Amino acid sequence: MKLERLVNIDRRIVYLCIAVGTTLPLLLPIGLPVSSTPPVRSLFEKVESLGPEDVVLLSFDYGPTTAPENTPMAEAILRHCFTRGIKVVVIALFPIGGVTMAGEVLANITPEYPQLQEGVDYAFLGYKDGAQAAMKQMGVAFVNVFPVDNGRRPLGEIPLMQRVVNYDDVDLIVTLSTNVIAEWWANLVNAQFGTPVAVGATAVSAPKYYAFLDSGQMIGLLGGLKGASEYERLVIDRYPHFARLYDRPGVYTAIKGMDAQTVDHAIIMAFILFGNTVHFLIRRRDRRAGLRDA
Amino acid sequence: MGRGEWTRRLAAGAAAAGLLHLCLAQRAAAADAAASWYDPQRVGAPLVVLLVFSALVLYFIHASRRGRALYIRRIAGIQAIEEAVGRATELGRKVLYLTGAGSIDDNQTIASLAVLRHVAGLTARYAVDLDVPGRDPLAFSAARETVQEAYLQAGRPDLFRSDTVHYVTYDQFAYTAAVTGIMVREKPAANFLIGAFQAESLLLAETGQSTGAIQIAGTAEVTQLPFFAVVCDYTLMGEELYAAGAYLSNEPAMLGSIKGQDFTKAVLILVILVGVLLEILGVHAIKDFMAIAG
Amino acid sequence: MFWKLRLPLALTFIVGLVPIVTFFLSTQAPVIGPAVQFARDRVERYMVIIAGFALLLGVVSVVQGSVRKIERRRPGWPFAASLLAGLVVMGAFGILSAMRVGPFQGLLTAPDGGMTPFFWMTRNLFNPLQAAMFSLLAFYIASAAFRAFRVRNVEATILLIAAFIVMAGRTPLGEYAFGWLPGGERWLPAVTDWIMTVPNAAAQRGVIIGAALGAASLSLRVILGIERSYLGTTEK
Repeated sequence: MKLERLVNIDRRIVYLCIAVGTTLPLLLPIGLPVSSTPPVRSLFEKVESLGPEDVVLLSFDYGPTTAPENTPMAEAILRHCFTRGIKVVVIALFPIGGVTMAGEVLANITPEYPQLQEGVDYAFLGYKDGAQAAMKQMGVAFVNVFPVDNGRRPLGEIPLMQRVVNYDDVDLIVTLSTNVIAEWWANLVNAQFGTPVAVGATAVSAPKYYAFLDSGQMIGLLGGLKGASEYERLVIDRYPHFARLYDRPGVYTAIKGMDAQTVDHAIIMAFILFGNTVHFLIRRRDRRAGLRDA
Repeated sequence: MGRGEWTRRLAAGAAAAGLLHLCLAQRAAAADAAASWYDPQRVGAPLVVLLVFSALVLYFIHASRRGRALYIRRIAGIQAIEEAVGRATELGRKVLYLTGAGSIDDNQTIASLAVLRHVAGLTARYAVDLDVPGRDPLAFSAARETVQEAYLQAGRPDLFRSDTVHYVTYDQFAYTAAVTGIMVREKPAANFLIGAFQAESLLLAETGQSTGAIQIAGTAEVTQLPFFAVVCDYTLMGEELYAAGAYLSNEPAMLGSIKGQDFTKAVLILVILVGVLLEILGVHAIKDFMAIAG
Repeated sequence: MFWKLRLPLALTFIVGLVPIVTFFLSTQAPVIGPAVQFARDRVERYMVIIAGFALLLGVVSVVQGSVRKIERRRPGWPFAASLLAGLVVMGAFGILSAMRVGPFQGLLTAPDGGMTPFFWMTRNLFNPLQAAMFSLLAFYIASAAFRAFRVRNVEATILLIAAFIVMAGRTPLGEYAFGWLPGGERWLPAVTDWIMTVPNAAAQRGVIIGAALGAASLSLRVILGIERSYLGTTEK
């Protein structure tokens, strides 16, 4: 009887262990090392190959729910682009909170680069509903989808957007996505217009995109918090001055978040091992009881 | 098989081969787009697959309508629908049906409405309460029409109440909070989670599991299938969801379309196998043909 | 019957066929080229407009349902009242901010660089609520994994082993596990990468292809008027 109680342990005990395992490492950072994987390195190398004459389209296709995973990706990629002088066009296609996420990230990052001018070095075009239709229309002209930018300036008056007319003028599209929008970028835009697409996806969605990565429809993939931490690591290793930004106490980064994720994974694995051990003991006990009765 | 049938099949095969030759010739010539009425970059694998697929589906719909018996394998989740509604009847508790996050333009939602019609018919017949909380406004309107029609056809229009199908909210997690609240407070005996689901899938399924409900899920979202498969009693995976409505309707045209899609899959499997073999031998014809250009 | 069935079916057929046909036609072709371009551009723009109206329909539905619940004092009616309050306040703040009326100057940052009221509410109310709900997934995944990953048969065992490898390989645990061996810190991440890029990708592709064919079959049934569940009727 005791074993049955162990295998059907109250789920609140599991919740408590996860709560402790998540909170403690965030309060008391462990500082576990992070190494990179090929899908992340691929995107990093692509951005490294771009320069001041090139344009990256950064699409905020996520909302507040996945901000802990996607925002570190956005910040690391923006820092990387701005450091290399790459021009960035920022849009949002996610209806619930995409534009506010974009605004927040730009508000956090742009003060680190006081020499940047909005409209010249980067443009924030805002949000557009109907993601698929918007994606197809941007292949014709950005102005068809965003007649004005987020600050209500006509696109014709924005110097950067005078030379970035459609996808032909974009060298890389990076979508930070929480759902199927990333797939649409690969299936609609990369397939039809040939512009390279990279995805920063949540950990839940990332397994689906390995197929796209393998077929070349995506040139890079950041999967969840791990992917974000890998990109941060690559950026810090390549540009050491970023280390002081990422080491600031009280500032959430993906590298710090990996401590909590690692502990949580360990807790889940421990519970699974525990459950299976008890399961085996029950089966062995029942087998022996069966033999005894026989 | 009669001579007429053979003649028809040969003619169809010859037409398909001729079309294939035309497409290959046009692509090989890389014709100037201005000179042709069709886009040679897009005419190729997409058109061939579309034509083969349509031809097979239409053929089997036609054959089914002419009385040919078509075998469709047993799908456990669909067989369990009546069992689930029966359980709700025995326990005197309601049936909860979720149509997912998609709007009416999402195929998964359309498939879900087809299953909802069947479930509503059963709940009308057994006089069991049905609760359909809506998330998307257009899908909610269609669901309302569907349930009302089903109750009418079952001869129990009196059982349909205005709050049988009610709108909750569009926001993902606000909807999840509302539905999990319904599950915990009202403890439905049977939960149907059929349609497009995102991150809320595990929250909904796990909460339903904790209340002891029998759960039948169905989605084509590959990222959410693992959660449903692990937590729910029955899961309709991918194409099984799309086949469910046709399966339940038992209409010849619907069953014919399932058969046609299965045959297309068989053709694609064959093409993949041949393609892999050719690639190993260094022949890239099929890979080049299947590549989609912009 | 015409308005409820025949007309919608006819519209579905035409509107469903247009994008398929225009996909293959050339926009440079004489005579039909401009028509193809028009059809491609306009149909997609109409989709954008319709998607916007759907939101309005949702708001009307929520208001109607909540007001009815409050009027009849149904169980949980205070929650309906709080829902309406939140809808009105957040909606009003958003609309006034977008129109830049009075103190509501913009959706994100105010002209003086501070947060607008709408942005303040988004950042301090909406975002934390969303994040809190999403965070429940961590707990639910743990309890689901504890309950589901049992060695019941061969397939379940393979699933369990793969899950262990990926859980460890996707964190620094994987590097520490065999890090004491020369080059060992790369083993588990390499195996994890192989699992994700080979068997996982293959399985995902299979499901994606099957689901795509299923969706195409359903689309064909809808376009041809065989599938009518979206109309709420099965009448012929």
